Formats: sequence, structure tokens, C-alpha cells
Amino acid sequence: MRLERLLVRQWWNRPGRALATVASVAVAVGAVVATWVSADASRTGYRSLTEAIDGVPVVDVVSRGGGRFEAAGVPSLVDIPGVRAVVPLFYRPTLLRVGEKRVREIAVGVDVESLVATGLLTLSAGRACFGPEEAVLETSLANSLGLALGDEILFFARRRIRRMEVVGLADRQAIGWFAEGAGVITDIQALSEMSRALGFLDRVRIAITPEGSRKRVLAGVAAALPEPLLAEIPAGKASMAEDVLHSADLGLDFVTGLTVAMAWFIVGNAMLMNVTERRRGFSLMQLLGATVKQVRRLIVGEAALLGGVGAVLGAAAGWLAAKPIAAGISQALQAPLEALQFNPFILPVAILMGIVVAVAAAWWPSREATDADLLEGLSVAPAPPPRGISWRFVSVVLALAAVAAIVQGLVITEVLPPRMAVPGGIVLLLAFVALTPLVLPWIARGLAALAPRRFRIETKLALEQILRQPIRTALTSGVLVVAVTNGVGLGHAIRDNVDNVLGWYARLMQADWVLMHAGVVSAGGDGGDSEAGSAEAEVAALPGVRSVAGIGVAVGRVAGIACVVVARDLPADEPLPLEAVSASEAEVRAALNRGDAVAGTVLARRTGIKPGDEVAVEVFGRTTTVRIAALVIDYTSGGASLHVRRDVARRLFGLDAADVLLVKAAPGQVSALRQPLELIAEEHALLLRSFGDLQVFIDTVVKGVVSSLWAILGLGFVVGSLGVANTVTMNVLEKQRTLGLLRAVGMTSRQVTLVVVLESLILGIAGSLIGLFGGITTALFIQLSSQPLLGHPIEAKFRPEVIAANLAAAVVVAVVAAWLPARRAARLDLLQAISAE
Amino acid sequence: MPILEAQHLCKTFHKPHAEAEGVAAVRGVDLAVESGEFVAITGASGSGKSTLLHMLGGITRPSSGRVLLEGVDLAGLDDDALALVRRRRIGFVFQRYNLLPELSLLENVALPLVLDGVAEQTCDTAAAAALEAVGMAHRGGHRPDALSGGEQQRGAVARALVTNPAIVLADEPTGALDSINARRVIELLQHLVADRGQTVVLVTHDAATAAAAGRTVRVRDGLIESDSHPPHGRPTTEALGS
Repeated sequence: MRLERLLVRQWWNRPGRALATVASVAVAVGAVVATWVSADASRTGYRSLTEAIDGVPVVDVVSRGGGRFEAAGVPSLVDIPGVRAVVPLFYRPTLLRVGEKRVREIAVGVDVESLVATGLLTLSAGRACFGPEEAVLETSLANSLGLALGDEILFFARRRIRRMEVVGLADRQAIGWFAEGAGVITDIQALSEMSRALGFLDRVRIAITPEGSRKRVLAGVAAALPEPLLAEIPAGKASMAEDVLHSADLGLDFVTGLTVAMAWFIVGNAMLMNVTERRRGFSLMQLLGATVKQVRRLIVGEAALLGGVGAVLGAAAGWLAAKPIAAGISQALQAPLEALQFNPFILPVAILMGIVVAVAAAWWPSREATDADLLEGLSVAPAPPPRGISWRFVSVVLALAAVAAIVQGLVITEVLPPRMAVPGGIVLLLAFVALTPLVLPWIARGLAALAPRRFRIETKLALEQILRQPIRTALTSGVLVVAVTNGVGLGHAIRDNVDNVLGWYARLMQADWVLMHAGVVSAGGDGGDSEAGSAEAEVAALPGVRSVAGIGVAVGRVAGIACVVVARDLPADEPLPLEAVSASEAEVRAALNRGDAVAGTVLARRTGIKPGDEVAVEVFGRTTTVRIAALVIDYTSGGASLHVRRDVARRLFGLDAADVLLVKAAPGQVSALRQPLELIAEEHALLLRSFGDLQVFIDTVVKGVVSSLWAILGLGFVVGSLGVANTVTMNVLEKQRTLGLLRAVGMTSRQVTLVVVLESLILGIAGSLIGLFGGITTALFIQLSSQPLLGHPIEAKFRPEVIAANLAAAVVVAVVAAWLPARRAARLDLLQAISAE
Repeated sequence: MPILEAQHLCKTFHKPHAEAEGVAAVRGVDLAVESGEFVAITGASGSGKSTLLHMLGGITRPSSGRVLLEGVDLAGLDDDALALVRRRRIGFVFQRYNLLPELSLLENVALPLVLDGVAEQTCDTAAAAALEAVGMAHRGGHRPDALSGGEQQRGAVARALVTNPAIVLADEPTGALDSINARRVIELLQHLVADRGQTVVLVTHDAATAAAAGRTVRVRDGLIESDSHPPHGRPTTEALGS
């Protein structure tokens, strides 16, 4: 007989124990796979959502000092991983003449043929333009000018007039990613030649592959560029949606990390029980001459084998479970399911992790089993571990909390990147779980004291079982601690973030109707009135309009950092649409009226500017000094924004355009304005959105994000319940002798059921209370971690509904998980139970 | 030279986290066992006889003093070396048999050889021979739970013999048996000593069992109170103390 056969015999003799161990690993690995896949699905969905708003994700190459730069100075960038295409761009404000109509427009020079050939540009009609006598027009512009394919336009540039044929039409959505604000597309060489700037570019736009990371591409491009050039995410492209999703993305990292932690607890507990239950056998083997190494090798080898089987089963189950969850998430995020990309490495990595975790989890009990006194190990009822506060545990809790606090501090002070908050948060969570053996006895005793007197004996026995095995108890309730910490922490953090963004949006969009370009950023200062600008007077003249507020948006640069300059009408009788940090609304309004600017918190963080500073702002190639009066919470362009009054923007930067018009209707006139506004929008090639439309859109984004996160959190609870159920089952298996003795001395089946359920219930409530504390701390942790990114603190609100939902879920999970094992315990064969060794 | 020798053996148990002085279970025992002897250690419950046996078998390390098995000081061995000594040179028989319930009787008997890495065929042959020696060859394929207490204990004796140990240590081997089965086990041990020259040391609180041994050592309060046949007229602890 080989020694390993002993294991097989043990599995065969007690299949429940071996199966429960395999099931634990399967549950843990399944949870990791399902969470991982779901998180990936969420990320893909987020990206898809962002792209739906932003268009193709891009990175720009611009001149560090502003202005044009030589095309020859740009190195080859196409081989950088994640780069889909490198698109040189040349902008030119121009005047178009069609018959008697004259229109100021932005022309963009680009290699149209290549864009069409590579599928980056789809024309709605016609073909790509080539040479100096052809152009492609934005469809609504062509419609507003009454132009069709084959018609001619006169193109004015630098005192030269060129006759061009309209050879193609493209929708705003199709060209928005490279030609925001531009309506005329021409061949780049022809346009630069016309502008007497042949060989020069305004920017190089780099399109990123669907699976590519914008941050990685940005880093790769930045590393490849010579000193005079700069890689940046264009200000107008870092949209609000991306920022809404940032905290959710951080949350996904947390959820994935915490699920891995939960997997550790589940597997650790299973391995602990699996080994502890057989301590007599291992002690006997040692007594008969087995060396410590032999016994440990046997235990760890078994863990690897059971872990491997469990990991494979769990990975398959997790994969199957993840599919419908991912489909639900994609539906919530309105992302096509085929766009979801499942990382093929998830399965092998998860299986390997399952085996490694199983082996690591078995290591400690194997040490316990071999370090134990042989005679003590041989006894039927070994002495319980000493009770009371273990200073070793106190030290562990303090050390973990200190590490978490240090990591958090370094994240807040930006020594470490925000993503490092994830391992920091997990360390903090471990501190809470390590805290469990210290505080759980007190909580459990308190809860037991609240039990009805008629259950006194059952409660006493349940409490005794809890107190007898502090480590196992901690690991079991640790699963619930993690689940509740997850739910409460992320529930609070996500809702706080979403509320913050929604609050900002509600302040920003105080209007019944919104008129705007598809791409709202003005590309050039000398373009004069934009379509929205010229439409402003027409809208204001409409009957039923109470007020029209114009917003002009231009790409600018402060201290070398890209930003958007927002010029806005600020009527005195309307609330200020900006929320200032450390300044009152009246102070901010007064400062803006004086001609000062206010900066978004993210811009302030990136540039280091403070209220009172005077900064040089470059807009449309013109640099002007403005005073920063205050910082404001703003998500426009990710908070990298500078706000001034519209008349000040006109004076300082020549920014006269109104890219967005916010229209407020007189009471009862909202619906009546739809038709006249539609006519104006059509005439000026603008998009008309009702506030309701925008609200629905924002609600869709927010609901999608929140739903996807709740789905993953729900998954955590399902996993937690399986983990607890498995643990309680193993507990019952191990204690069948005790339970049998209780039955033998006269305890009824109902009482035995109650003992097992009460034990789980007390553990569930105790774990929930610790998890509640951990969750609120985690929420604050996430908020603080987001602060360096957002540049401002997010108000943390106490949310009773989130807490109640999580506590209720944990208690239900604990009771439901204990029910079947409890029934099993009640039906134990007395003789078999008493003779169990 | 004695095959087993205890010199000034002491064992004090300390309760974890207890400030008070520990309990002295064995307080300076000297004992020598010659090859082929059948020694019974007797004494009341709590007298320290089992603790003494556990120290003699390398299960418990003494607080002070030495145990020499075939001239090797067990106290000087690390855990793995001690495990090898237990595996190859000592056979144990326990009151509660301590057979692994998952294994058949034959496999239980073969276990010390399996641990030693002996070839499977050799293990089975040796285990079968050991079972034959205790009259249990016909029950080798049965699991422990299918055997009576007496049968299990005889199986445990076979396991103790399978490695041809220098000494067999038995801790209350008849404590859980009825009188008939108890007598059979004692007779079996007597035959081992008489026929094979096996050295046996057993602990018992039963006078009849002790009487079956050639030599009786009585322990009281952690000290040897009397020794019926001390080798070479070696003085007992009582004599030293008196």
C-alpha cells in the first residue's frame, strides 16, 4: 500500500468531507472567475458606453509650445501596442460661399482616402475626396446649404479662393472623433498647401484599438515623442461618462480583489476543517514513525489534488455562471454582447490560483497537525485552544491597519497611484477579519443574551461551539465580513460618486431644451459665430422662451496641460451652475463678474494652481493671463476646465461662439417650443435635446453602472452563502459525535436543528456587524482614494437602505446556509454518530 | 547492556498561560530493561506510569534526564530522527487500539513499513506474517469497525511487531477489553517474550495483568516505589530516597 492510498481510503470512508473540501475550492474559484468575467464585461460595457458618447478613443500629439509643428518631426507611432491608426490633422478656419450664402466653417485636412479604406470613416454618400478641388461635407451642413453630391462650393483661404466639388457626405457621428466642430473635410496636403503651411500639422490623432488601453497608448506615444511634441488626451474627449465610470472601475477592482480574499477564507476554512477533523489519524501516523515532512507532504499533496479538482470544476461553473451575468450587465450598459471580450487567461489563472490557495491554506493546518502534542492529538476530544485576547492577533490587526493606513496616505498624497488603493483596501479588510476573533466572542455573547429564554440551552450550546473554535469561527464569519464590507462599502462609495456627478449635471444643465453640436468643442477662434451662436438670437426671439444661456467651449492649455475653457452666460437671477470648493456662491459670482476665472479641481491638481494665482491661458494660439478666483467641482472634460463669463471670454480669448444653448421655457411652454426649436436646429445643423432626453440618457448610464456593480455584489453574496453553507456542513460533519451525544441524552431533532441554525445566525449577525464597520471604513477609503483623481472630496452620506439591505442579506444567507446541514444533523443515526471517530 | 535505560527521568506539565508551577508527573526515575524482559509498570491512576512509558517510547520528551534505547539517547534526537526510532525500533500498543478506520487490518499492520518506504509486496508479506503470529491472519481484509475489541487489539500487537522492533511498549493494552479478550492479549505478549525473545514493557493498573509479566515496577507519585526484579541489584528510587 502506498501512503497516498490512505488518502483515497479516507475520501472513500468520508466522501462528504472530501466533497465539501472540493466544493469549497470550486465555490471560491467559481466566484473569482464569475466576478472577474463580470468585471471584464462591465469594463467592456463602460468602454462601449464611453465610445458611444466620445466616439473612437484617441490620443493626440500636439506641439508642446502650442501652434503647428513639422510633420517630419513626428516619429513612426503605428507600431505602439494598442494603436489602430495614426491620423495627421490640419485645421483651417474658412469661409464657404454657396450662391449667395456665406458660412464660416472649420475645415479639417486629413488623408480621407486612407480613413475610408481602413474603415475609420464611413461616408453616408459619395466617395473620398482627393486633391485640392474636392471636399467632403458634413451631411447636416450640406443640407442646410442645399448642397448635393456634385455641387460646387467656393472655399476662401488666405486671400485665395478655390472652387471645390462636393464628392462625399459624412454624418456628424462619423467624423466627430477627428473633426469635432468642423464641417468641411479636405485632403490634408491640399489644405496645408492652400494655407502655405505644407509639411506642417496642427495635431496627430491616434485612434486606439478596441482592446487597447488609452493610458498605455498615451504612455507609449509620450515615450516615443521628441522634446517639442507632447502626447495628451484631447480635452474634449475626456467626457463626463468616463469620469462617472472611473469610480465604478475602481470599485470593480475592489470587488475583484475582495472576492479573491473571500475565496481565501472559504478555502482556508475548508482546509482547516478537513485537516483538523483527521488530527487523530495524523497524530497516530507520527506516533507510528511518520516524520513531520511525510505528514505535511501528505496533507499538502491532498490539498493540491482536491484543490485542482475543485478549481477545474469551479472555473467551469464560474464561466457558465458568468455568461448570463455578463449578458445582464451588457444589457444594462446597452453594450452589444459580442463586444464583450472574455480574457482567455482567466481560466488557467483561476485554476492555478485555486491550487495555490488550497496548498497555501493547507500549509498552516498541516503545521498545526504536526506540531501538536502526539498524545493530545490522539485524544477523542482535544483541549480547546486558550480563550482570551491573543496579543499575536492584536499585533496582526494593528500591523495590517497600519499598512493600510500608510498605503492610503501615500495614495492621498499621490506618492502612489490611485489604483494602489485596491491592495490597501484589501489589507484593511484583512485587518477587519483578523479583528474578528478578538471582538466576535463579545458580540456573540451579547447576541446570545438577547435570545429568548425558552431557547436558553440551545443558545448556550451554539455559543459554546462558536467560542470553542475562534479561528474557524473567524474564517466562517470572515466570509460574511467580506461580503458585507463589499456591499456596504461599495454601495456607499458608488452611490456617493454617482450622486456627486448627478448633482453636478443637474446644476450644469438647468434648462428645458439644449441645442448643441454633436462635438461641442470649438476648434478655432477666428471662426466667428458658430451655428449655435447665430441661432441664439433666433431662439431668444421665439415666443415662450424665458431665457437662453449660451455656453462656448474651446480647447485651451494652462501651464502646458490641456483643458477646456468654458465661457458661459451667468444670469444674475439664476443659481450659479458651479459648486465652489472653499468659497461661497456669492464670492465666486462676484469674482467671475470682475473678469476672473474659476478652475476645475482636476485642472488645479494637475497644474498646481491655487485660488489667487495668475495663470497664462492659451486659447486659439493666443496666450492671456487670468486670475483664478476659486476652484469648482466640475466634470466637464474630466474636471480639467477653466470657467469664465462669456463676455470675458470674448474679450480675453476671442471666444465668441456659443456651442451649446440652454433654453428655458416660460411656464407651460416647454412642449410648445419643440417644433420651432426643431426648425432652428435643422436650419443651423444643431442637435436638439430636451432635458428629459438628457435625463433619460444620464439615468441610463448611471443605472447601467449601478446595476452592473450590484450584480457583481449580489454574486459575492451568493458565493458567501455557498461558502457559509459549506462551512456549516463541514462543521456538522465534524461535530456529529457531539450532536449524536446530545441526541442520545435526550435532545430532540428540533433542538439540534435550532442549535446549528442559532450558531450560524449568531455568526451571521456578528459577521455583519463587523462587516458594517468595515464597509463604512472601506467607503471612506474609496472616497479618499478618488480624491487625488477628482481633486475634490466627495460627500460621504450615511445610507440606511444600503446597510439594511446588506445586513438582511447576510442574516438570510446565514440562516438559509445552515438549514440543510441542521436538518442533516437532526437526522443523524445515533449509534453511528456516537461511534464516529 | 540494558536495551532500554532511563536515567533520572523527570516530567513536569505546565498548563498554557498558567503562572503557577507545573504538575510533576515523573520525578526522577531510573530504570533499566534488559533484552527479552517482560516488564509491567503498575500504579494507581495519576501515578505517572503512562507518562513514564511515553517518555520511554519517545512520544513525550522528558523535562530532564535521559532515555537510552540500544545505547542511543532519545533526548539528543531531533523530531525526524525520533520518528525513525519509533518507526523502526519501537512497537506501540494502545488501550484504544488506534487503528485507522479507513484501512483494512492488514493495511493497518503494514503502515509502519509503508511509512518506511518498504516495497508494497514486502509490506503485505510482513504484515500477513505479523497477523499470523497473533492469530489474526484470517481477519486481515476486514476494516477495524468489523472487528471485536480483542481482535482489534491483537491486530494492534501485530502492527507493533511488524518492524521487528527492539521493544514493544503497551499502554493499558487490556484496559478496554473484557476479561477473556484481556487474557488472550496478555498470553499473546507472553508468547512473544518466550518464543521470540521480544522485550515488552506494559503499563497497567490491573494486578492480574501485571502478574503475567516477569518483572513488576510499581510507580507512585512519579517515583518508582518498588521493582520486583531490578537488574544487577540496581537500587530503586525508593531505596535511594530512603
